[in-house]
Amino acid sequence: MTADLGITIAGVEFANPVWTASGCCGYGEELARVFPLSRLGALVTKSITLEPRLGHPPPRVAETSAGMLNAIGLANVGVESFIDEKIPFLARQKTRTIVNVAGSTMGEYIEVCQRLNDVEHLDMVELNISCPNVDKGGMQFGADPSLTEEVVKSVKKVFTRPVIAKLSPNVTDIVEIARAAEQGGADAVSLINSMVGTAVDIETWRPRLTNNTGGLTGPAIKPIALAMVSAVHSSCRLPVIGIGGIAGWADAVEFLLCGATAVQVGTAVFVEPEAPVKIVRGLREYMRRKKLRTVNDLIGRVRKYG
Amino acid sequence: MTKPTCEDTFLKKRRSLGNDYYSLTFSPYSQAERCRPGHFVHLKLPGNDVFFRRAFSIAAVSPSAGEMEIIFKIVGRGTRAMAHLRPGDPINLLGPLGTPFKRPRKREHTLMVAGGIGFPPLLFLARDMISRGHDPKRIEFFYGGRTAGDVIERSRIKKLGVTFRPVTEDGSLGSKGLVTVPVEEFIENHDNGNCRIYGCGPEGMLKSTNELALRLGVPGQISLEAPMPCGIGVCLGCVVPLTDGGHARVCCDGPVFSIGEVAL
Ligand SMILES: Cc1cc2nc3c(=O)[nH]c(=O)nc-3n(C[C@H](O)[C@H](O)[C@H](O)COP(=O)(O)OP(=O)(O)OC[C@H]3O[C@@H](n4cnc5c(N)ncnc54)[C@H](O)[C@@H]3O)c2cc1C
Ligand SMILES: Cc1cc2nc3c(=O)[nH]c(=O)nc-3n(C[C@H](O)[C@H](O)[C@H](O)COP(=O)(O)O)c2cc1C
Ligand code: FES
Repeated sequence: MTADLGITIAGVEFANPVWTASGCCGYGEELARVFPLSRLGALVTKSITLEPRLGHPPPRVAETSAGMLNAIGLANVGVESFIDEKIPFLARQKTRTIVNVAGSTMGEYIEVCQRLNDVEHLDMVELNISCPNVDKGGMQFGADPSLTEEVVKSVKKVFTRPVIAKLSPNVTDIVEIARAAEQGGADAVSLINSMVGTAVDIETWRPRLTNNTGGLTGPAIKPIALAMVSAVHSSCRLPVIGIGGIAGWADAVEFLLCGATAVQVGTAVFVEPEAPVKIVRGLREYMRRKKLRTVNDLIGRVRKYG
Repeated sequence: MTKPTCEDTFLKKRRSLGNDYYSLTFSPYSQAERCRPGHFVHLKLPGNDVFFRRAFSIAAVSPSAGEMEIIFKIVGRGTRAMAHLRPGDPINLLGPLGTPFKRPRKREHTLMVAGGIGFPPLLFLARDMISRGHDPKRIEFFYGGRTAGDVIERSRIKKLGVTFRPVTEDGSLGSKGLVTVPVEEFIENHDNGNCRIYGCGPEGMLKSTNELALRLGVPGQISLEAPMPCGIGVCLGCVVPLTDGGHARVCCDGPVFSIGEVAL
């Protein structure tokens, strides 16, 4: 029996549920030198904003126990160059393209998505309403249910393909935000973005990041992400895309069991660029061993204690 | 940028070079033939104690033997663990990475300006040039350190036949002071248009080398370091500011940059 790794989210079919996370695979060109992108279920681009951004001055990454802090600050080429220079490459790849969009204002999200709506080769957008590393925008939207609902609703008016809302863990109740996204018409939610954290150099007394704080990612945040995926899956009807500390196929299985329909691999790509490919392979072998025909046989099947 | 591979290899030989400096030779390394001076490898230590990979310039290769050597100094957790590796231990290597040095023209005076642990890529460059027919006598190998123990692999450098010019801050070996002083003297006594600088070492040294080269109108390249989560250009964590106001990724736009390109 061969396991079928295919999944469908909002009518879009994916060859497998293993995607690369925003900010961890650029716009695909570099990763394509390591493995054919057709091995991925989808590639989620670095966040795109209306204008190009340089991001924060270095140092903007720091290693931590089982993870890292980053304060890249949404460095990206801007939507115009993205469409002109990056989309043609992505269009040639046999994988789904999901464009992650960020903005400082409601208007910026709308304008970027409006332009993206004219781009043929692009399957979905993912709204980054959860970036902890910029003064304005990002997390400010994702921390407020009414703003979350509004930004999703406004984007849905101008972007005719499916919209994913990417949620922040830096909130009191992530379920409430997920429901607000659902209310706004989101087609799926992805979670989690990074968790606010910092580290200090005890010789210089300086924070290790010029932004003073950053976002914690990697294996260190996996248990938190898993609990949040589980909570959102149990209380919201939208498909959930699980993100946070996934480094191997077994991590991906845990997320699927907790209710994720797909997963995104972020920080692990830095340590092991072929991690997503190995996860697909491992998942297929696991399903064969467990005699599971489809990924649906796993999704949300965690046997919780009563 | 070269297409990197991610492969398991083994430590073949470990040499202690004194003062916390070590040389590690890995084999079999399928990419040895493709390594160029200035390239680096990103090395994953076994286990989960050291999370990121660690970047090391390639110091030497032997394509026929499938060997690749790096030279490093213990400065923290990762390098301490590396110093304890034993022959036979497995290591995962991602590489070769980065943009290598551009070779000088044969008639030019090549000034290698090495500081401390910055010398490995310049050793590789000198050796590669000589194997391609450059006259070793036209290679000036300036090598600065705090003290004599920081100027390692001296006999190996001398054996290349280059003009070896050690410099130490405490005067325990070669001339006393900073490495940039004799470099400047050399250029002043030669046709600056016929000199080319290659620098690698601590930030302060690179900054003065860059300034000196600009001031004296000598072209060349420097190799930089930065924290490097991915090494392949996808995380944007390793950027340095450029003089034109932009940012460049040290891991793939560099680590080798032209004199004057980076705002040091
Ligand atoms: C392209 C390149 C080539 C290099 N070549 C050599 C070489 O040939 N020989 C040698 O001895 N060293 C070399 N280094 C430096 C070497 O990578 C560091 O010494 C090593 O990472 C230290 O690891 P550690 O765990 O011992 O130190 P720790 O300080 O405990 O940890 C290093 C951590 O600091 C981060 N970091 C912060 N600043 C830097 C920086 N400037 N460089 C590297 N990592 C940084 C790393 O990402 C890592 O997470 C090179 C660095 C780069 C980027
Ligand atoms: C260096 C870096 C840059 C990131 N950039 C973005 C970004 O631009 N937009 C975004 O929505 N998430 C960004 N993220 C968050 C990741 O997409 C992901 O949500 C997070 O890293 C958790 O997953 P992980 O533990 O697998 O890395 C970034 C993460 C890292 C480490
Ligand atoms: S180390 Fe990730 S982009 Fe350079």
